[in-house]
Amino acid sequence: MTNSNSKPKTSVSNIHELGLLVACVLVLLIFSFTAPNFFTERNLLSILRSASYVGLVAFPMTFVLISREIDISVGPSVAYSGVLFACLIKWYGISYPLATIIVLLWGLVLGYVVGIVRTKLFVPTFITTLALWSALRGMALWQTDGMPVMIGSKAFRHFFGGDFLGFPTVTWIMLVVFIIFWFLSTYSVLGTNIYAVGGNPKAARSVGINVDGIKIITLTATSFFSAVVGILFVARVSSGNSTVGEGMEFDVIAAVVVGGTALGGAVGRMTGTLLGVLFIAMIGNGLVHWGIDPDLNKVVRGIIIFLAVVINSNLTLKSNTGPKGED
Amino acid sequence: MSILQLNNISKNFGAIVALDKVTLNLEQGEVLGLMGDNGAGKSTLIKIIAGNFKQSEGEILFENNNVEFNKPMDARNKGIEVVYQDLALCDNLTAASNIYLTRELKKKFGPFSIIDFKRMFESAKNIFAELKSETLPNETVKMMSGGQRQAVALARTKLSKAKVVLLDEPTAAISVRQVAEVLELIRQLKAQGISVVIISHRMPDVFAVSDRIAVLRRGKLVANKFAKESSAEEVTALITGALETA
Repeated sequence: MTNSNSKPKTSVSNIHELGLLVACVLVLLIFSFTAPNFFTERNLLSILRSASYVGLVAFPMTFVLISREIDISVGPSVAYSGVLFACLIKWYGISYPLATIIVLLWGLVLGYVVGIVRTKLFVPTFITTLALWSALRGMALWQTDGMPVMIGSKAFRHFFGGDFLGFPTVTWIMLVVFIIFWFLSTYSVLGTNIYAVGGNPKAARSVGINVDGIKIITLTATSFFSAVVGILFVARVSSGNSTVGEGMEFDVIAAVVVGGTALGGAVGRMTGTLLGVLFIAMIGNGLVHWGIDPDLNKVVRGIIIFLAVVINSNLTLKSNTGPKGED
Repeated sequence: MSILQLNNISKNFGAIVALDKVTLNLEQGEVLGLMGDNGAGKSTLIKIIAGNFKQSEGEILFENNNVEFNKPMDARNKGIEVVYQDLALCDNLTAASNIYLTRELKKKFGPFSIIDFKRMFESAKNIFAELKSETLPNETVKMMSGGQRQAVALARTKLSKAKVVLLDEPTAAISVRQVAEVLELIRQLKAQGISVVIISHRMPDVFAVSDRIAVLRRGKLVANKFAKESSAEEVTALITGALETA
């Protein structure tokens, strides 16, 4: 009754995203002035490329976190998809398009199984994907003896691993996927239902939303895009490699959370995730250009991401004190 | 006209008799206060009307037709809506999105069908105006007071064109000022010809809006009379058993 004519309040997400945008610009400026060879066309495109691989999985991961689940098997899933793709082509002589279809189907099925195990057997996704994290990496190593599986098609490598209209092809793909996910999260019933499931699963169920179905969809999407990235990595290095994507789950989840998505669900936006992905990619690249020891690089990234999450959770806590439902 | 008529409703859970031959009717546009101590059978009765439980014996007439509710959807399809104490709202969505959850208004955008937020906000604004509530359609629910949350929950029932609204403790756990707001919402529902059943422990609130008071004690209906012919003292005595019937 008190604020009948007040304008809708600036949401916390907006403040967060503005802050993150400022942080991105600051990081860009700092590295540009202090790190040699950081602000070059070649390096900026390289940042964009690595951000794009992370982004492709980070957008569906945003939905997974919003719906109160998590998938930590991204890195091994990317590696195994790539290995499977390369093996199908090299060892079984399957054509590129067919191998692509098989690997994408594999991604869909794997995500679906994680979803079913979560919703029908009530195993937390953290546990299932932790098991997958170990199993998929092991499978990839075992299947290839830890050796790269080389594949030859130049056209495939040049297009999917190379550039298109001056930008990495993967960046174009990432942008299209971003627009799709942004659209879904903002204007679609599916997106609204995902937020509803994260906000109050009990309420969502009581109005007839298929809560289990929504969770399965978000988990399947993430697994699917892990497979997509697996294939794109093969195109980049022209081989299926069991060791790629190490620590990628960290980059993806960090980007999503830095982007303002709450680990506890309900809150998060695709625009924030996009900024988070760029932020993480710039930090990773910039630290290398500073000449910091690669091992220490990981430490510094850990600290920066920790700080970002502390800021984020304090922002969301202040505005997100409402009751939480079941699950 | 009786919109809802319960005849000799009994409900047993094993050897426990939760409801014992309860006969009760609800007129169109009437507010019925359903009272009773914890365990008196109020919740069981509401759950039978809402289709959560099936009665062991007795019949339910809705608009003079015999009805059987096997699941909540059956009751909802007839126009019976329940608003529970822990209002089933999503805190992270706006009032309008909550009201329209699973029945979003859509518009064409090229080949896609997208959510028409503008129309949803407009329509939610109208519903709030009908309820004489100043809740803002585009505000997130987590920012809202208990009274405004209640308004959102009731707006949902308005949207589904409910004929009977069952309110479970609508004024529990909210501030005195918001209680007035919620009671006003109930009066607005009544003014629009909707029948309301409120379950509450708060005597003054029940008397403030109810036309009739029904009292349950140990599964039996011990009183069913017009509010103006009764008093808080009498009802208290009936609830506790100091008075056998009235």
